[in-house]
Amino acid sequence: MKYPIYAYTSEDQLMLYEFTSIGPKGNVKKIVEYSVTSIENVYNLAFGDYDEKIDGINDKSVTNNGDSPKVLATVASTVYSFTGRYPQAWIHATGSTAVRTRLYRMGITNNIAAILEDFRVYGLKGEMWEDFLIGEDYEAFLITRKNK
Amino acid sequence: MDLKNLNEKKIPIVKINKQLERFRGKTLFPEKLKKANEILTRVGLPKTV
Repeated sequence: MKYPIYAYTSEDQLMLYEFTSIGPKGNVKKIVEYSVTSIENVYNLAFGDYDEKIDGINDKSVTNNGDSPKVLATVASTVYSFTGRYPQAWIHATGSTAVRTRLYRMGITNNIAAILEDFRVYGLKGEMWEDFLIGEDYEAFLITRKNK
Repeated sequence: MDLKNLNEKKIPIVKINKQLERFRGKTLFPEKLKKANEILTRVGLPKTV
């Protein structure tokens, strides 16, 4: 990946990861989750801020810690970790808002050359998945390993 | 493993954090999972598969 990443930890099934964003707003704990979906071998990737008050996730929070590229590169790194354990997996991702989805697109675009070495990336356009193209707007993304 | 090595590895060695196991069996992002299931039910996987 082009950007540095934060060190992260996981539980032993490698489906949940935690790392800490460090910036002007302080230290913000982030959680990355891979959830089983209604289709076998397809997992949903989601991440957000851990909220100690509820011992859970604040999905709508906007951290503005000035480190989005590093956060996205860290999330991308967990994709390598996750698919290292589950090489047949398909990973679905979409943002909670259109702005968040564009942020995901930016993360993929910024690292597209490295990602395409190992993964196929699709974007959802209308009712069709198409090969990810830089500059296109997508509703969601699907990623799977090339060599399984 | 130091951060430099972590950054250079494609499949990183991940430190296991037992505290995270308290979330096992829970869905931390239910709305996103619901949206994913709706999309996958509607569109399925790419036709090339």
